[in-house]
Amino acid sequence: MSDTPILELKGLTKRFGGLTAVGDVSFKVSEGGISGLIGPNGAGKTTIFNLITGVYKVTAGEVLYRGNPIHNREPYQIADAGVTRTFQNIRLFKNLSAFDNVYTACHTSAQYGIVEALCRLPRFRREERALKEKTRGLLEIMGLSDRADVMANNLPYGLQRRLEITRALALDPKLLLLDEPAAGMNPDETLNLMKLIGEIRDRFKLSVLVIEHHMDLIMGVCEHIHVLNFGCTLADGSPEQVAGDPRVVDAYLGVEEE
Amino acid sequence: MNQFLQQLVNGLSIGSIYALMAVGYSLVYSIMNFSNFAHGSVIMLGAYFGFFALTLLGLPFALAFFVAASGTALFAVALERLAYKPLRDRKAPFLYFIITAMGASIFIDNSVIATIGPTPKTFPQASLPSFLRSGSVEIGSLNVGRVDIAMFVITAICLAALVLFIDKTKMGKAIQATAYNMKASALMGINPGFVIILVFAIGGALAGVAGVLYGMKYQVYPQMSSITMKSFIAAVFGGLGSLPGALLGSVLLALIETFVSGYVSTQLRDLFAFGILIAMLVIRPQGIMGKSMEDKA
Amino acid sequence: MDAYIQQIIVMTGINLIAVLGLSILTGFTGLFSFGHAGFMAIGSYIAAICTARLPQILQTQFGLHLEPMAAFALAVVAGALAAGVVSWLIGMLTLKLKGDYFCIATMGFGEAVRIILNNIPYVGGARGWESLPKLTSIWLVLGLDVLFVVITWNLINSRQGRNMVAVREEELAAQMSGIDVYRHKMTALIVSAIFAGVAGALMANYIQFIRPTMFNMARSTDLTIMVIFGGLGSISGTILGTILLTWLPEVFRNFAQWRLVVYGLAVIVIMVGRPQGLVGGMELTPSGIRKAMTARNARKRFKEVGDDAGGQK
Ligand SMILES: Nc1ncnc2c1ncn2[C@@H]1O[C@H](COP(=O)(O)OP(=O)(O)OP(=O)(O)O)[C@@H](O)[C@H]1O
Ligand SMILES: [Mg+2]
Repeated sequence: MSDTPILELKGLTKRFGGLTAVGDVSFKVSEGGISGLIGPNGAGKTTIFNLITGVYKVTAGEVLYRGNPIHNREPYQIADAGVTRTFQNIRLFKNLSAFDNVYTACHTSAQYGIVEALCRLPRFRREERALKEKTRGLLEIMGLSDRADVMANNLPYGLQRRLEITRALALDPKLLLLDEPAAGMNPDETLNLMKLIGEIRDRFKLSVLVIEHHMDLIMGVCEHIHVLNFGCTLADGSPEQVAGDPRVVDAYLGVEEE
Repeated sequence: MNQFLQQLVNGLSIGSIYALMAVGYSLVYSIMNFSNFAHGSVIMLGAYFGFFALTLLGLPFALAFFVAASGTALFAVALERLAYKPLRDRKAPFLYFIITAMGASIFIDNSVIATIGPTPKTFPQASLPSFLRSGSVEIGSLNVGRVDIAMFVITAICLAALVLFIDKTKMGKAIQATAYNMKASALMGINPGFVIILVFAIGGALAGVAGVLYGMKYQVYPQMSSITMKSFIAAVFGGLGSLPGALLGSVLLALIETFVSGYVSTQLRDLFAFGILIAMLVIRPQGIMGKSMEDKA
Repeated sequence: MDAYIQQIIVMTGINLIAVLGLSILTGFTGLFSFGHAGFMAIGSYIAAICTARLPQILQTQFGLHLEPMAAFALAVVAGALAAGVVSWLIGMLTLKLKGDYFCIATMGFGEAVRIILNNIPYVGGARGWESLPKLTSIWLVLGLDVLFVVITWNLINSRQGRNMVAVREEELAAQMSGIDVYRHKMTALIVSAIFAGVAGALMANYIQFIRPTMFNMARSTDLTIMVIFGGLGSISGTILGTILLTWLPEVFRNFAQWRLVVYGLAVIVIMVGRPQGLVGGMELTPSGIRKAMTARNARKRFKEVGDDAGGQK
């Protein structure tokens, strides 16, 4: 693991009108690590993802990706640079097959231009073959091969989440942001997902930042956890530190586990 | 100076009609976030309802107005139930709403052409109450058409009633809350389906009134969409989804139009309207009074 | 060949080019335009100037002789380019806005083009422009149809085309997948405008008469309806829709006034009940049908297993 963190937030702030959704949040995600971002509903977790990925413009503060500021870039540039994500409320290309979802997202691995495509020049053929190979490989790794032809909309919920992760991996990201990947899953599925997240990190050599409400998942896979409450940092540290922090138990864990 | 005042009066008269129409676009947009392009056709239907209520049924003037307004209100609600609701239930993409609205508009306009015919119809003077017959009133050195005065007064009454309704009644507050945040207001027990029906009914009723007024001043014909299009531009100009915006946009657009046709050229009037539309979209797409929002992701 | 039949074939072929463009824009990229007749108008009028005015101008001013067919080739290219450039300007102004505002802007554009043409006496103003040379032939149109179908097909089946579809399906997810949404919308718009420009150029030099009202909003929506009938997101559907909707009115001439009533109703019914249109989301080619079949089978197979187990491998 190198010294510069893959992602660093510095004094990140986002206001919607009078509402401060994220207020002066700073933390780091270390290269190759799995970090967790937790907090009660409305704490500003998804907003932080939207700020990192450029969906929202930051009000103040910085987002540094491998030491470079990225918060003024277009969302597609940020994705292209190696930060991809999944969504809390799944956003697949619904009417396309699982294969086409991933195939589409592989586009950055090809270089051919529009004229080469229209004329079907050799480079087009070669690169298209490679894209198909890559797509098949990814679906295989993620256990979706037998559903390749199913329309995304018709996949069961758990597989839709899995397909979204596969699509995010198609861009060869260096940092993967997962927004509540276990939402709506039963304990069994959650366990599988935990294993999968670890496998993905090792196989694709990337870093992961995951938002979750499932405490077993967070405590099980994360090496580092950042806790938010009302848009502000509440705690930051290893799972043990965070779980032992009385403020966290008060604000979050206590409520969550009723 | 005199000519200037005369233009001002003409502008206000047209502006009031625009406003009555624009409110329908804006109300629906504020709740459903799409431009109901079929609204123009509903206005046209209103003109026909009023015309036939007066001529065929021989109803008294006030009753004819009422028939037209309730007819279009019912029609607008039916359109919502039959065409838009299935799309909403299916969470269809925005594109489908626009296409459906276009289909509805084509269907309504051409049904009228096919059954009643394309020839314009004129409200018979005899069927109108005396204060609405053609002719004008001298106010100082100005000549103001009686129809124009009536139009202005009726519009003002309708819009005042609308504002009172939205501001003072429970249903009106439900509309405001839903426009602000549909999910949150649904959680607080406001039924979004009901609010949508309400909004279509109100927009439809005002469309009926506007159709009759317009038909009285000019004529009734199936392709009134050129005028309703203007009211839509007015709604965009003022800020889609904002009622004060719709009023302000309507009056401004009408004034600009009358002054352009008065001092520059009638031919360029429409070009100005569309030019304003595009310029507004480029400079300030949310319109004069609209608020811009970051979409929730 | 019967002159009447031939005329319908040519009109179908010309429509097809414009409708293919709209299919890329609306069916594959998910942008809705109320103003594509405006791009056709630009193509028509530029072409008319090239074929009806330019040869004389060159002859009298410079003593140059321009062959009619050379003028025509220039006309088609110039018409297409002009439409493309204008669409680029429109796109720069409006494609960053939300979908609604793009529709509104295209409507404003279409109407503005018509009003401007109404006020230019040089091209006939509102009365129109008659006796243009007849240079479009049936074979040219059919040849261009093949070319444009191939172009469309190759575009859609490339990464650029897939990115357009992604923009249609889920704009935000497309961005997060590294797709420059603005650029792909722009590409779709320019391509569709170029197609419309070519169609306009061919039309002017076939019916030999153009008038601004021929390019009103009804014309734009007519073209869109052909895309919707065939099915959003299908090239074969677009072809089928165009053929059907150009021929049907000819067959049912007696019901001419009911044509648009039926179309309007059909559009609503399709959107509400069968948004995939006639052939719907698939292509009527051997591989397209196979793909649709496997998708259906795959879906059935997993339904039967009663699946929702998270699909562990
Ligand atoms: N586009 C927006 N406009 C206005 N307010 C917003 C917007 N996006 C988020 N907010 C507000 O910001 C706050 C934080 O929202 P966010 O979605 O980030 O919470 P979260 O931590 O992801 O919660 P959850 O666990 O429910 O997903 C909330 O009060 C929300 O209403
Ligand atoms: Mg969230």
